[in-house]
Order: sequence, then structure tokens, then C-alpha cells
Amino acid sequence: MNAPPTFESFLLFEGEKKIQIEKDTKVPNAAIFTINKEDHTLGNMICTQLRKDPQVLFTGYKNPHPLEHKIVLRIQTTADYSPQEALTNAITDLISEISLMEERFREAVREKQEGDI
Amino acid sequence: MPYANQPTVQISQIEANSTVLFDEFISHRIGLIPLTSDDVVDRMQYSRDCTCEDFCPDCSVEFTMDVKCQDDVTRHVTSADLISSNPKIVPVTSRNKEEGSEYDDTDDILIVKLRKGQEVKVKAFARKGFAKEHANTTQITLYATQHTPNLRNDQAPFDPTGFPNKYFYNVESCGSMKPENIVFSALARLKEKLSNLQTQLSHEIQSDAEE
Repeated sequence: MNAPPTFESFLLFEGEKKIQIEKDTKVPNAAIFTINKEDHTLGNMICTQLRKDPQVLFTGYKNPHPLEHKIVLRIQTTADYSPQEALTNAITDLISEISLMEERFREAVREKQEGDI
Repeated sequence: MPYANQPTVQISQIEANSTVLFDEFISHRIGLIPLTSDDVVDRMQYSRDCTCEDFCPDCSVEFTMDVKCQDDVTRHVTSADLISSNPKIVPVTSRNKEEGSEYDDTDDILIVKLRKGQEVKVKAFARKGFAKEHANTTQITLYATQHTPNLRNDQAPFDPTGFPNKYFYNVESCGSMKPENIVFSALARLKEKLSNLQTQLSHEIQSDAEE
């Protein structure tokens, strides 16, 4: 059969980079990030987080083709800010938000278990 | 969400098979049996990351099944005949007999039926995987989200301009892990993905600045 091997969707090829940065030459303060071996799980999450940043003017992501396991994320920011910083901050915020959610959920599960006994 | 990991069976050898089903059919049926993995899965290695050549106790669990029908009545080969080398990783239906308390008793999963004189002998290895790689490694049978207005509780009046800020997550497990553990492992996996991306991004920014 000619089906591509399933691990292609999450294992980086040899020498392949996880993330590549490309500056947008036509617009100032804009960059295109190509994140390899990721899908809507991460793309949508990061994009939604970036939209909450008031200094981010534009953000959008796409999965160019379902058989190409990568997402392309474009960010444009205001002049005193850079897309790289915006992305770093978005990821940091997401990590702390997930940690907070995990902590709260752990507490809720503990409360539920104690309530049952 | 469905990124949590679960060990699944990979059949490596069917040593004897005189049943009505062919080898692949049986291995597929065994592969779909959920295995308990609550405590062990985090300590297991992915077999492709493991240093061993084929299968070792760090990355796999061995299962054996050897059944021969000698009576006149039909012999049902079920998940109970699948003998595990690790008492912590067993078919979910076998666990209930040992513990009994936490879950209701469930029927064993039928693999194949044997007539008199037929036999099946299998050696299998369970290894860790996740649902993106193969659907038989998923441990969620039902997963739904719902945001307000919530029809179940019917507490808030409908606000047409409102923005959803409250979500109801419904997770149903196939028995291999507890639902709360699935959520924890999904959150851990998301965090791992993000921090991995963050490191790679900072490397990339640094190498960009040097150029």
C-alpha cells in the first residue's frame, strides 16, 4: 500500500527543525512561523492566545495540506514589539494557564474524592 | 485532548491457529482489547525510543494465550485467556475480578469461538502508543464539550450577545484509565508540547540574531 507511515505526523525528519522563522518582507513587524509536526491542537491554541494580546495586530494560522504535517502561523505586531516576543509571551501564558487549570482540577478531584468518603 | 497514551497490543507471533478466523483477524481483535494502564503508562518507554532491539520489559509487556478445545461444546476464547506478564497491565475485563469493588462486573471480550479439536496459540507484545499513531490506542470512548447557555442546568437566561466563558467537558473512558487521569495526562502532554516549542523557539531566535 502507498499510505504514508503514521509516525510521519509527529516525528521530525532527520535534520528538520521544529520551528522556522521567516520575516515578512512586505509588511513591517510581521513574521511567518512554520511549526513542523504540529496540527490544530497547538495552532488554534496559540492563535487564540495571541488574539488576546493588544499589541498583536494580526494573527492567523493554517495547515497548508492535511498530508503536510505542519502549521504556518503569521503574526504582525505594533512597532515597539516583535512577532518573536509575541509568540514567546503567548506560549508562556498558555503554559501558566494550563498549569493553573491542572492545579484547580487536581483540587476539584481531591474534594470530590473526599466528599465521597 | 486525545493525546494521552495507552499501551496497546501488537501481535508478534501467532504460533498455532486452526480456528475459523485467519491470523490477521485474530490479531486485530486482540489489538482492540483495552488494557489497564493507569499507574504504569507514564513509566513505560515508547518502543521506538527504547534502547533495546526488539521488545524489552521497559517498553513492552508480553501476553500469551494458549487455548485448545477438547470438549464437545463450543469453547469461547475471551480476553480472560490472555495472560499478561505484568499484573498491572491486564485486559480491563480481567481486572474487575481481582478488585471487584470500583467498577461493575463486565463480561469478558470474545475473541474467537473454538470447535472440538481447534486451537489457538498466540504470543503478543503490548507497547505504548497514542491515538494519533493508531486509533486502537485511544482510551476515550466519548468526549464532548458544551458551552453555555447550558440546556442541562437551564440556570442562565439566554444572552444573544454573550461570549462563551463556561465549558462543560464530558469524558468517558474505555476503562484503561480513569477519566480524571486522562484529563491530567492530556494537560501534561499539552504543557510538554508547549515548553518543547518554547525552547526550540528561543534557540531559533538566538540563531537568527547571530546571523
